[in-house]
Amino acid sequence: MAAVAGRTYPAVRFEIEPERVAGFARAIGADPDDGVPPTFAAVYSLGVTALHLFGDEEAAVDFSRLLHAEQEFEWTRHPRVGETVVSRGRVASDISRRGMRFVSFETDTTDSKGAPVCRSRALFVIRS
Amino acid sequence: MTERRVTFTREQIAAYADASGDQNPIHLDDDFARSVGLPGVIAHGMLQMGILATVAAEEVGGPSRLRRISVRFAGMVEPGDTVTFTASRAADERLELTALNQKGEAVLTKSTTEIA
Repeated sequence: MAAVAGRTYPAVRFEIEPERVAGFARAIGADPDDGVPPTFAAVYSLGVTALHLFGDEEAAVDFSRLLHAEQEFEWTRHPRVGETVVSRGRVASDISRRGMRFVSFETDTTDSKGAPVCRSRALFVIRS
Repeated sequence: MTERRVTFTREQIAAYADASGDQNPIHLDDDFARSVGLPGVIAHGMLQMGILATVAAEEVGGPSRLRRISVRFAGMVEPGDTVTFTASRAADERLELTALNQKGEAVLTKSTTEIA
């Protein structure tokens, strides 16, 4: 296990497709006509960038022992259906204590012109 | 106050896995979930947060008014569990958010939000 605090991952572009939004809205019991559900950020912000962390061999995050402990989303504005957004993930902190590893993973999402849309802050706990 | 009571099902958890792309087998495969020390499959924390955010958005008149939401995933939710999600207005434009299972235990704690 290597502490990887400060590590940043490449930008990921994601198109917010209407079918994907509608399926997500139905799955959480939201009205698909209400636009992009706020927590669709779990897909366009956290989801697309966390894959980098989970696939990072040096970070060595054991996915099967990972718990999502806390989550925050903060929006400058909510994206629109059909829009393409760009997200960049980084490891804000990586601390091991008493057999548990705490990884704080932050993602900044902007629109295609670089204007801020959303910031995601996830706390992952990996049991050893 | 806005309230929604949801009895979680395997189908709903699988639908969220498909819709979100989070196909971690702890949400889909009982044998795998048990092999990592869980009682069986559990709902995604993000599914619970998604429902809570939907209830919060309804309380304030639409999802575009949510500026920030944060939660701590405090308790596991298994198929068959019923969780009551509520959002109610507190002072200073904040919302009070709760998510309690059928035993009255909070499955989401430290839930806070800011409204535009």
